[in-house]
Amino acid sequence: MISKSQAIEILNAGLATGADFVEIFIEEKYNNNLSIDNDKIETISSGIIYGAGIRLLRDLRSVYGYTNDLSKKSLLTLASTLAASFQGERILEVKKLTKQKVKNVHTTSRHLNEVTKEEKISFITKISDEMKQFGDKIVRRIVSFGDNTQKIVIINSDGKIFEDTRERGRLYISALTSDKNGIESSGVGPGASKGFEYFEKEIDALALARNVCEVAIKKLTAKECPSGKMPVVIGNGFGGVIFHEACGHPLEASSVSKNLSVFANKLGQQIAAPVVTAIDDGTIVNEWGSNNIDDEGNKTQKTTLIKDGILVNYLIDNFNGRRMGMKGNGACRRQSYAFEPTSRMSNTYIAAGKSTVDEIIKTVKLGLYAKSLGGGSVNPTTGDFNFAADEAYMIRNGKIAEMVKGATLIGNGAEVLLNIDMVGNDIKLAQGMCGASSGSIPVDVGQPTIRVSEITVGGRGGALK
Amino acid sequence: MIKLQKYFELAKCAGIEALEIYIVRNYSLGFSLFHGEIDSYTTNDSISLGARGIFNGKMGYAYSEKIDKSTPEFIIKNIVENAKNITSENKVSIFEGSKKYKKYNCYNKELDLIPVETKLNKLYELERKLKESDPRITEIGGVGYEETRGETILANSYGLRLSEKSNYYVFYAEAVAKDGEDTKTGYKTFLDCDFNKFDLDKFVEEVKDNTIKQLGGKPCKSKNYRAVLAPRVVSSLLSAMLNSTIAEEVQKHSSLFEGKLNTQVVSKKITISEKPLAHNIFFKGFDDEGVATYNKDIIKNGVLKTFLYNIETALKDGVQTTGNGYRSSSKSPVETGYNNIFLKPGKLSEEKMIGKVKNGIYIDSITGLHAGLNSQSGNFSLQATGFIIKDGKISDPVNLITVAGNLVKVFQDVTMVANNIELLTNATSVPSIAIKSIMVSGN
Repeated sequence: MISKSQAIEILNAGLATGADFVEIFIEEKYNNNLSIDNDKIETISSGIIYGAGIRLLRDLRSVYGYTNDLSKKSLLTLASTLAASFQGERILEVKKLTKQKVKNVHTTSRHLNEVTKEEKISFITKISDEMKQFGDKIVRRIVSFGDNTQKIVIINSDGKIFEDTRERGRLYISALTSDKNGIESSGVGPGASKGFEYFEKEIDALALARNVCEVAIKKLTAKECPSGKMPVVIGNGFGGVIFHEACGHPLEASSVSKNLSVFANKLGQQIAAPVVTAIDDGTIVNEWGSNNIDDEGNKTQKTTLIKDGILVNYLIDNFNGRRMGMKGNGACRRQSYAFEPTSRMSNTYIAAGKSTVDEIIKTVKLGLYAKSLGGGSVNPTTGDFNFAADEAYMIRNGKIAEMVKGATLIGNGAEVLLNIDMVGNDIKLAQGMCGASSGSIPVDVGQPTIRVSEITVGGRGGALK
Repeated sequence: MIKLQKYFELAKCAGIEALEIYIVRNYSLGFSLFHGEIDSYTTNDSISLGARGIFNGKMGYAYSEKIDKSTPEFIIKNIVENAKNITSENKVSIFEGSKKYKKYNCYNKELDLIPVETKLNKLYELERKLKESDPRITEIGGVGYEETRGETILANSYGLRLSEKSNYYVFYAEAVAKDGEDTKTGYKTFLDCDFNKFDLDKFVEEVKDNTIKQLGGKPCKSKNYRAVLAPRVVSSLLSAMLNSTIAEEVQKHSSLFEGKLNTQVVSKKITISEKPLAHNIFFKGFDDEGVATYNKDIIKNGVLKTFLYNIETALKDGVQTTGNGYRSSSKSPVETGYNNIFLKPGKLSEEKMIGKVKNGIYIDSITGLHAGLNSQSGNFSLQATGFIIKDGKISDPVNLITVAGNLVKVFQDVTMVANNIELLTNATSVPSIAIKSIMVSGN
């Protein structure tokens, strides 16, 4: 890593042509991934992600560059190359750098990089073995475990140095089933900013594996989902991907600041039904999407985005905040040094309401219960979204009825927010990876069970009956 | 340049039977505009080393972007440690080398010589012309230029040394059109290595059209429609189907084509080839295991002609590798991939094809493939946009619909293949196709 005096020189090279802010982001990350496919360990991979990104800002312009060569010469060249894209006089000079205090709240007892590969393998093997009891219908069992330890240093022209170490692990369990009806699959992927104790003690990995098998087997005989507009009850946990895709992304300053979001200029306005309160909280201890500081050094925050249906805040990074006249709120993130950081979500969820799940299901005469969802995507400008149900049932006369497969929910984020008419009391978070311009980052989605009065459901099972 | 000798020496000492090193070096430059100003400017110079080696008959992998004195030791130590834990009984091998490799220069020096200012000015012009192209274009979501120079080096302990260099640039633009409360976005990219091939006015016209024509789009009636699929839609579905031609999927019983070699799997009108040696920017003379590539038909007149193999899956089936061993990055293990896919065009123009379909739907885009497609069963249900085809002509725009079907069935149901072949950024060259029926869910 570079010394303080070298950093000052590099920052000042970046400031030479009138930049008003320069930042060096240095990263060294150790990755380990292993997986078992049926009973065989086929690949294990270990490696280092290593490099530095330099960002220069001048008013509403940003320039960014990165390299793996962390020598002083290479970083000075990069800073000067970037500075050459501005034509101005120096307005700032860095004289002193002071290390800032970063408190690590995500403490761990068994560091993931200290657990041997043998122990991790025996852990995933045990899970894979547990899935054998479901017999021949399970044709493929894949269990993988990945962990990483990321050390970052952020040095900026405000004279500040931030250092932090982040540690994350994720287990992934999936089952593929096959019989005369075809092939189906199901999976689950719990993760945390925590050591190995989370996986061996705090979650019941074997129970999760059994459930994955049961769902994948049940799907074999499920009917194809009917299509049409219908009321949809969306289950808790990963069901929150609806809010993430349809509402979370359009609340990011990267699209709001350019007026490219359906929610731009709507602070203080009713954008959701009054039962909806939504929060982004990057501070939840040991949670998968949490950090002590964001990727520009701001402390992460708990930010209420929507309160009782009223839009009260956005997810803001310092740079996009300039265009909006607002300050960054700890939401600036990036996959690695190879990405210019921008506003992103952390752990984003719809807050708990008052209804029980039974009460919600009871209200639906004919509709869909999307118990858990797969992935999806959204166009942040129009708000049009789509996502697939992983486990879904029809609701008939207020009762959960037959399982259906192949359901896709599509709609418009702004509309769906207004159509959420019941919110349950069973809030739960679930882990995922979120991809956008600053790369793929760990996030939590979450919600209690909710009811949407009407969503277009796509499926291959013909008209709704 | 990285000195490789140290890696091979250490590997030998550690008892590694064969070692392969794969290095990717990348330079890139990119900028985007917003409201006539440079909004972002990025540049990079990066290098990444991936290595794998055989220890006690098992393959161990390791990679690093930190290239210094400590790297060889880290790499060799992890290869040994990882290989020790492998329990797969698959035979593995590192390739000694092909007799001959085809070459093609896909590095255009001219592109490097064009000053950044010229490229930037082109982008300013693009943004301005797009904004002025129609009063309903209210915002330019982003216009950008990116260029990449890449070099791949493959070396192994048998003395094989291969390298390939290429460069290309991309222009992209997103326009936002508004009509009252109705907002639509249109996006387009252009990719080449010859800067002079970029026809700015044509590009602007296409982005504008793509955007404006969607205005007023609403869901259509739910039912089965005869359909025409645009090239990018065909490309997405085709890529998903090609996943089933990968030998590993077949060996693991998750391919839709298991047991179907040399049988009719799709319509006779469909011929799909992999042409890694085609002379375009995606040319590749060797795969990521050092095997010389060659052009081949994967599906010919609807008949499945071959599965795609890398060395490991070929050893398992007792066949030759098809030169399809690819890594998705230097950090990933060798899997099976393909490069430069061609769907053989037909004779009809797209317009004539639409005329022949008479009444149906034109599917212009699909999204949600990563979630809405069950790659095992081939069943999909995807968000789509498009246009109603009425009396043989494109008419009302349609959005917020889902189209549902089965991947293989779509290609079995092909009634016509058009001649409007287009090279897309995912290295597929495909035309539009017409199919018997697709299930649409809208109103």
